[in-house]
Amino acid sequence: MQGQASHLPPNEHRYLDVIGVAKSFKGAAIMDQMNFRVAKGELVSLLGPSGCGKTTLLRIIAGLLQADTGDIVLGGRNLSSLPAHKRNISVVFQNYALFPHLTVAENVAFGLRARGTSKADAARPVADALALVRMDAFADRPVSALSGGQQQRVAVARALVVSPDLLLLDEPFSALDRKLRETMQIELKALLRNRGITAIFVTHDQDEAMGVSDRIAVMNKGKIEQFAEPSTLYAQPASPFVMDFVGLSTRLSGRVTEQAGGIATVTTNVGPVRARSGLAAGTPVLLGVRPELITPDPTAEMNQISVQLDDVMTLGSKTVLHGATTDDDNFLCELSGIRTDYKRGQTVTWGWAVDDTLIHAVPA
Amino acid sequence: MIMRLDRIGLLAVPGLAFLAVIYALPLVLLLFKSVQGVDGLTLITYIDFFGDEFNQVVLWRTLRVALLTTLLALAIAYPTAFAMARAKGIWLNVFLVALVLPMSLGVIVKAFAWSILFRSNGFLNTSLQSLGITDEPIRMLFTETALIIGAANVFLPFMVLPIYTVVRQLNRNLPEAASSLGATPWFRFTRVTLPLTLPGVVAGSAFTFSLAISMYVIPSLIVGERQQTLSMLIARSFLYLRNEPLGSTISAVLLAIAIFVVLFSSWLAGRLGARK
Repeated sequence: MQGQASHLPPNEHRYLDVIGVAKSFKGAAIMDQMNFRVAKGELVSLLGPSGCGKTTLLRIIAGLLQADTGDIVLGGRNLSSLPAHKRNISVVFQNYALFPHLTVAENVAFGLRARGTSKADAARPVADALALVRMDAFADRPVSALSGGQQQRVAVARALVVSPDLLLLDEPFSALDRKLRETMQIELKALLRNRGITAIFVTHDQDEAMGVSDRIAVMNKGKIEQFAEPSTLYAQPASPFVMDFVGLSTRLSGRVTEQAGGIATVTTNVGPVRARSGLAAGTPVLLGVRPELITPDPTAEMNQISVQLDDVMTLGSKTVLHGATTDDDNFLCELSGIRTDYKRGQTVTWGWAVDDTLIHAVPA
Repeated sequence: MIMRLDRIGLLAVPGLAFLAVIYALPLVLLLFKSVQGVDGLTLITYIDFFGDEFNQVVLWRTLRVALLTTLLALAIAYPTAFAMARAKGIWLNVFLVALVLPMSLGVIVKAFAWSILFRSNGFLNTSLQSLGITDEPIRMLFTETALIIGAANVFLPFMVLPIYTVVRQLNRNLPEAASSLGATPWFRFTRVTLPLTLPGVVAGSAFTFSLAISMYVIPSLIVGERQQTLSMLIARSFLYLRNEPLGSTISAVLLAIAIFVVLFSSWLAGRLGARK
């Protein structure tokens, strides 16, 4: 899957078009030549570690930050020179940014009032929006009296009531506790789908991105490393960074020692490992295997390595085996269900299909 | 009902005791003199005070000067507080030093410095004339305008700091959220920024007004005897006229105004903050 850089959907799906956006702060480039397209009605995540430029990109799209160069086109309208308040792009902030001096209903009415709608005319859509997020009973409460989840619902209602052309959400679930987070993700995804809203989530949480998005753009150092469906990102990561950032894996470094008919044999610290790749002999590589693809009962045609178990974690729905780490290599295997037949210190043989080996050339 | 002594509350005892002995007690003794007649309590001094046309002029002037001083300080302080809240590192220190350092200079030094600026052959008048804006020197010293400008200068930190504190705590996403919801800069300011910073404005204005209504040194130095204020009347009553009942009466009037301002501003701040 080397060189798969098609971040760009076909033209007819182009709704949001970020073209050649560059931004630097105090001489340091945050992003350079950013190109990014989203289709209408798509739910997309910008996923990456802090400092990767995902929030910067979100703020540039929203008009809260001015790009040095490049264009933002939304629905055929070039927004680049428009201030935030003329873009019709709503933002849900990480801290929700509800107006503390206004009630729940007044918060939701804000966007309509700002657009010149009278108080009377705003009442109906505000009530509808609050009903949509099941907050109608709280209309006259001050926002400080709300829990985190309720505040998030109000922030979503406030953002949607103005019928935005695009909805941007900056780490919208990070302030919620784990259980509530999942509920809210399901709820919000259904809501956005039903209303055909085009939305971009910014997050550093891969589970969250996988859960809510049609496609995920994995960002690193101001660049999109891969922009694909969650399943593709996981099964065919385009780079070691994506492989590491999305999901866990057994990782081995080595060097290609033999190339025969599209199968590269890599010499590693734990023996030879085969992968489907055209990389030439002599190439230093990083190998990865997703932990659930590894079996402790390998067949003859599989890659096989011998691993001494360092830890066995019983997590209920699955059991995770950790092999003793050597150098930069690490060994991880997931088996479904509770397995009591494996003990710490035991040496086992792991195997996986040649086609399941992820392989990436790395700088020597 | 069970009386429960809050142990943390005990920490306030020294301060309360100090205030009671050094502030409240003498004040009550002083105020008592204003209602102490030859044969029992009387309000005659109050009737006399408010009946006198000169006193009415002074009272009105004192209120007017305090109000205009507050407004001028507010107009200068409000944008400054935003710049300060945005400032970082060395610039924030520059702002703070610029605010606090002049306080240590003392009013008297400033007052004489102003006279160099404002007098008829002073810097301002010579500049205006050499630029051809005016032909003759304008009378600036000993005017109410000079007093207001001087007082606003002295009290500026008391206006800036409370507003700065509130602005600095303002969540910067709030104006951004307003913009993304379609609010023009004006709508955003009037519906979000201003209402959320009003508590700072109220606190700063209450400080400044209280200081300005009772100021004595600044008007004595800038306008002198020509345009008296309530504080100067009090001093004159005690020091020159030896009329304790009159001095106490004016003190009581001044205190009443100050109490009103404090109560009104805390009521206003409570109302503004009620929804938070």
